Amino acid sequence: MLTGAGFENVINVNGGIKAWQGTKAAGPVELNMDIIRGDESSQEILTLGVWFEKGLQKFYRQTSDQTDEPTLKSLLTHLAGIEDRHIKTLFDLLKTVDPSINDRPLFEAGIKPKMMEGGYDIDLFMKENASYLKTPEGVLDLAMMLETQALDLYLRFAEKSTHSQTKEMLYKIADEEKSHLASLGRIREGKSERL
Amino acid sequence: MFGIKQLFKPIESLETDDVKKFVENHPEGSYTLLDVRQPGEYEGEHLPGSKLIPLPELIDRKHEIDPEKPVLVY
Repeated sequence: MLTGAGFENVINVNGGIKAWQGTKAAGPVELNMDIIRGDESSQEILTLGVWFEKGLQKFYRQTSDQTDEPTLKSLLTHLAGIEDRHIKTLFDLLKTVDPSINDRPLFEAGIKPKMMEGGYDIDLFMKENASYLKTPEGVLDLAMMLETQALDLYLRFAEKSTHSQTKEMLYKIADEEKSHLASLGRIREGKSERL
Repeated sequence: MFGIKQLFKPIESLETDDVKKFVENHPEGSYTLLDVRQPGEYEGEHLPGSKLIPLPELIDRKHEIDPEKPVLVY
């Protein structure tokens, strides 16, 4: 249908989604799309990204505070530390679009997130997923789910965005999420940096 | 006016492992993942970042897809 309509490079995914072995997103097309208007500048979108990453970091720290189990605590501290690197990446991108923003501690001082990656409310998410937060495997599965949903949300944001520069920035952020997901996959498989 | 041959031109197929490698090796925004199922199926699960255009709507909504970029359809 598309090849007869001017599309030269159409590829069928053999077996469809049932054959897909990687992570999958869920939810309707409009899930959490009310978070943005669609006409945000790159700066606004990057600031939103920082809020989301800070939110996820807060989630990991809060969860860590609620456990005494050493392996779990170590994992959660490690994941919170990884989020710090993600925040730095986004902040560095923010500096390129607005060089007047160059003091990261000052910028972050005003950020008190209630929401995290994927657009989820932190406290509600913790309550609804408490059973997964009792083991390192559960935490990693949840972390991968969050990064998958975050990737999906950023790409749906890109679809909605009316500014080409903002769209490109959202694609860059989505590429970052892809690498976050890959890194979590390696930790899950026990192939990554020591905790 | 399309020729009949163009409408039934066979398209390339990739196994999901190769699609996964394609997605990993191509920057976001350089291709389209297109989900042609129904909204309920999409809601249950979908490939992250895929665009939903149910098959019956595809001809009328093809303008929403960039023809210059590869389109991976499931």
